[in-house]
Amino acid sequence: MGLREYLLKRLVHSVFVMLFVVTVVFAAVRSIPGDPARLMLGGDVDTATLEALRAELGLNQPLYIQYFRWLRRLLTGDLGESIRTGEPVLGSIVQVAGPTLSIAALGMVIALVIAIPTGIISAVKRYEIEDYLSTTIAFFGISMPAFWIGIVLVLVIGVNVESIPTFGYTPIDEGISPWFRSILLPSFAVGFPYGGILMRMMRSSMLEVLNEDYMRTARAKGLSSNLVLFKHGLQNALIPVVTLAGIFLAVVLGGVVAVEIVFGIRGLGRLLIGSINRRDFPLIQGTVLLIAFVFVLANIVVDLLYTMINPRIKYGGGD
Amino acid sequence: MTDPLLDVRGLTTSFETGQGRLTAVDDITFQIEEGEVFGVVGESGSGKSVTALSVMRLLDDAGTVEADEVRFKGTDLLSVSESEMRSIRGGEISMIFQDPMTSLNPVMTIGEQIAEVVRHHGDVGERTGFWSEMRRKYVTGTSEGSRSWQRAVELLETVGIPEPEKRATEYPHQLSGGMRQRVVIAQALAGDPSLIIADEPTTALDVSIEAQILNEILELSEEFGISVLLITHDLGVVRETCDRVAVMYASEFMETGHVNDIFEDPHHPYTEGLLASIPRIADEREWLSVIEGTVPDLIDKPSGCPFRDRCDYAFELCDRPLVEYEIEGSALETHTVRCHRENEHVEVDDSGHVESVPDEAVAALERRIEAESARDADGGVSPTADASARADGGSRPSPAADAENGGDHGEY
Ligand code: SF4
Repeated sequence: MGLREYLLKRLVHSVFVMLFVVTVVFAAVRSIPGDPARLMLGGDVDTATLEALRAELGLNQPLYIQYFRWLRRLLTGDLGESIRTGEPVLGSIVQVAGPTLSIAALGMVIALVIAIPTGIISAVKRYEIEDYLSTTIAFFGISMPAFWIGIVLVLVIGVNVESIPTFGYTPIDEGISPWFRSILLPSFAVGFPYGGILMRMMRSSMLEVLNEDYMRTARAKGLSSNLVLFKHGLQNALIPVVTLAGIFLAVVLGGVVAVEIVFGIRGLGRLLIGSINRRDFPLIQGTVLLIAFVFVLANIVVDLLYTMINPRIKYGGGD
Repeated sequence: MTDPLLDVRGLTTSFETGQGRLTAVDDITFQIEEGEVFGVVGESGSGKSVTALSVMRLLDDAGTVEADEVRFKGTDLLSVSESEMRSIRGGEISMIFQDPMTSLNPVMTIGEQIAEVVRHHGDVGERTGFWSEMRRKYVTGTSEGSRSWQRAVELLETVGIPEPEKRATEYPHQLSGGMRQRVVIAQALAGDPSLIIADEPTTALDVSIEAQILNEILELSEEFGISVLLITHDLGVVRETCDRVAVMYASEFMETGHVNDIFEDPHHPYTEGLLASIPRIADEREWLSVIEGTVPDLIDKPSGCPFRDRCDYAFELCDRPLVEYEIEGSALETHTVRCHRENEHVEVDDSGHVESVPDEAVAALERRIEAESARDADGGVSPTADASARADGGSRPSPAADAENGGDHGEY
């Protein structure tokens, strides 16, 4: 199967995944107690006003009708309007997606930059001080939630280092450096737990590779130990890590939502939480759809990468 | 008489384990002449592979290698620096491992796996530094116009792989088992070696292609004048391929000699047992255990003959340390045996059982033990050496090999 066909197949597949996700979300948000119309109007309102608003918002119709109406608009690329503000959902999302995606991307980079070298060192220096040190740090990363790391970072670094802000987000068009500094701490908070997970995987996968016959062959060829490790070992060790990196991406996305609150950043996470509080159904659905889209897209990228580094796999899986 | 290509004397390899010291190779001595095929045969776990890895200094930190001498073309392998050793590994001495599926790197093209040997050991004028190799691997790929690649394609052709240009760009999983082992052979030839160590080269292969692969190894080594150290558990293979053979049991060499001597006139009870266990007709089982009992524990191994618990002929001398006896009348080669039955004063009946052990036998044994240990202490040649070695052995420098050098220190 060629690359094009494979991509096409994956995209079609992804559409179904996202459809499933939004359907579940559609049902879930409507099953939590709370009526958006009542929340909008506040305390004492007569039934007639309430019913009028409900009718206006289309909330009085049977669920399946609401669902198909929403779906039909979705197919034309229309995510609907916010119940609360009446603004288009897509616009609201695009407005706040910048900080979230920036933090997630930088968080991933930080995680990889930390995890891969320390994982390798840890495996090579197994049961030595380097191993214990990096394993302990990774353990902290895995056991502390991102928002907690965020709080610690604010207290330790934010308070002492003036040039690194602890609150808010500076868009990239106001300069790369201010942008970078504004997302540095939140990205680290998000990347650290993810990095911890990846580091443990890198370590165990590298340990396995070190015992492989082909590593002995490489040494028997007279290659230096660095060449044996990085030319013959690294790519093999990365294969399982890449797969899991895609699966555990959820850790990053989940982390961003919480971390935005800590750093007072208006991003997708805050938008999502606000819209849940207000039972703003279209906005919730739209936001979740976008997050699902990012996740699915990232996994396609990961799969392509996996195919690149593992020649035993053809596009579309199968040996 | 010229020096042997590889001269190993008193090689002992041990591992520190949680339960005690495991002696994997116990004081073995052998020589491989130029162009010779030397076999080491024994059951799995007898220490054959460790012998090879010790000579190549490929054991990890856990292993300690000691020897009076491991001399290859005049170089003491145990005392050269790691970087000198690297230029020997894959170059002067190359290895073929058991399973071509796992011993080839699954994510590298066949061509590059051979070409890198050419590049590191041949004279093709290509950069072999760390960053050059990394760029070649992860950025540019190996150029198919490079000399090392072209040599790799030639080698693939030499070992009988059809469409070598195309195959060179493929990965190991795209080839059949037999083809893969041919690739491994090509890889072993790539550094222009004088010695190939083949560790069970056909065990993982289909029986139907076993003979082909063996022939390939033998024909090519003969063509290029390469000596072969063949490690196998299969006496049938030994008979087909080797000039001389050592029978290994529980980390020691029990009997060494020309293949014909060993097969026609075995002296050691273990060798006899092995020969009796060769299946007469094609048999699915790899090893017929007609010898009862189990191999002794190699951890804190007691002195004395390691075979005595399983030996039909065991007698009162057998828990004494073994010494080596030379069998007279072997026309072909020196034939040596380590078994107390060979003691000149021990009387043996027609069935091979010991009739009586006169006092002279004990005295003679003690004299031999003393002589061997004296010579060992001299740092010189132990009496286990064959005649030619003994003749010039005394004049050899005694390097009193630094035991700690044996492990692969600083690896990674
Ligand atoms: S020394 Fe004794 S036990 Fe060992 S093989 Fe000879 S007879 Fe058997």
